[in-house]
Amino acid sequence: MSVSVHVAGVGSTSFGSHPNRTLQSLAVEAARAALADSNIPMDRIGCVFVGNFVGGIMTGQELLGPIVAADLGLANVAAVKVEAACASSSAAVRIGHDLVRADAEEAVLVVGVERLTGAPREALTTAMTAAIDLGSEGHAGLTFPGFWGLVMARHMHLYGTTREQVAAVAVKNRRFGANNPLAQFQKPISLEEVIASPPVADPIRRFDCCPATDGAAAVVLTSEALARRFVSPSVRVAASVLVNGPVRVTDYREITSHDGTVNAARRAYQAAGVGPQDIDVAELHDCFSIAEIVDSEDLGFFAAGEGGPNILREATKRNSKVVINPSGGLLSKGHPTGATGCGQIYEVVMQLRGQHPNQVPQARWGLTHNGGGTAAAVTVHILQSP
Amino acid sequence: MMTGNKSLRGTVQSHTIIRVPGKSHAADAPFVLLLVELDDGERLLGHFRGSTPPAIGARVAGGGADNETPTFSIAGEKS
Repeated sequence: MSVSVHVAGVGSTSFGSHPNRTLQSLAVEAARAALADSNIPMDRIGCVFVGNFVGGIMTGQELLGPIVAADLGLANVAAVKVEAACASSSAAVRIGHDLVRADAEEAVLVVGVERLTGAPREALTTAMTAAIDLGSEGHAGLTFPGFWGLVMARHMHLYGTTREQVAAVAVKNRRFGANNPLAQFQKPISLEEVIASPPVADPIRRFDCCPATDGAAAVVLTSEALARRFVSPSVRVAASVLVNGPVRVTDYREITSHDGTVNAARRAYQAAGVGPQDIDVAELHDCFSIAEIVDSEDLGFFAAGEGGPNILREATKRNSKVVINPSGGLLSKGHPTGATGCGQIYEVVMQLRGQHPNQVPQARWGLTHNGGGTAAAVTVHILQSP
Repeated sequence: MMTGNKSLRGTVQSHTIIRVPGKSHAADAPFVLLLVELDDGERLLGHFRGSTPPAIGARVAGGGADNETPTFSIAGEKS
């Protein structure tokens, strides 16, 4: 007999530059906000999972689980860091979800946190490259923009996806971000500015790339029984899926479709009993503007090759009603890698409560998609409004 | 991935130019990176002798020592 899992509370710092903050102070701020939002008494929290990718490399600080728990005043709990590169905190949500679902814990706190700003560009690139297989691809000099540059060139070749369609993703997400107080970028950007920005890994240009970001976000997961007692209203977790995918670009049969995302989505839709046509709002992993196009196809919102044209199409003239990345996405809200997964859940929960600055009308079903490495560790969560 | 000293022939699946490298390749940038499907079906990443990438679908030939990333050039007419 499995327990229905609910998101009892969410919290977040602003995403952006926090040069004078430690990892633990950002994590504690987000966690306290989520705990207050949840109304769940502290003594009900049995586990603390801290999602973090490169805290050790960038700041020298490890052992974030016990440190964050102690700073929150939580004693005698299970507290540990979870690492799955850019999907660290959504992977932690999946683990916490399973514990509540199995009735092993009645309440779990998941916090994602990262500090990335202020480092020299080469040091940041090297840190991010820790999520690439260093023995093979790292040896060839592949970087994350490089991976997505290969994907973008091939997507354009196979489907006729245009430079303007890809740039339109960045323009759309900057426009959303400009209206989200938590977003790192608060100004819209033009198509021309994206296309004229300096190349990073051709055909990817600077404004096709998400920024380096500091920030933290947190989620409190509880059983339905505890949610009923303390929380009103609560969002139900209809599906929580984590799967692995190919870890090397050479392992893909076709690099414009990512098995991890396809498989995670298929399993999540099946668990939730809904399909892509039912999703009202999605926060997906737009680490680069081409990634939003590829992911929206792999999640089933558009057919293969149709992601590009649909970016420029009016919502009413598309074959999917979903609104994608109204938070501004990784491109504009920012990408504090280890915090991004919890940040996406924060955004979708706000949508399903009807409290988002870029509110999608009557949003009932929300989806988050978070990828670690080159889509090597992928989570999909489906959430249902109260 | 063993490439040996044998000659490699294949087709360009995709390409990029790495302009912001990690520390290990700082001295090489910018450089062209190719995803190549070899004629035996194996896929690998290779460098390219030239600053402008070949078109997707172009035939390339290359080689390199064991445990080194191979370097490719446009294949001759008879490939």
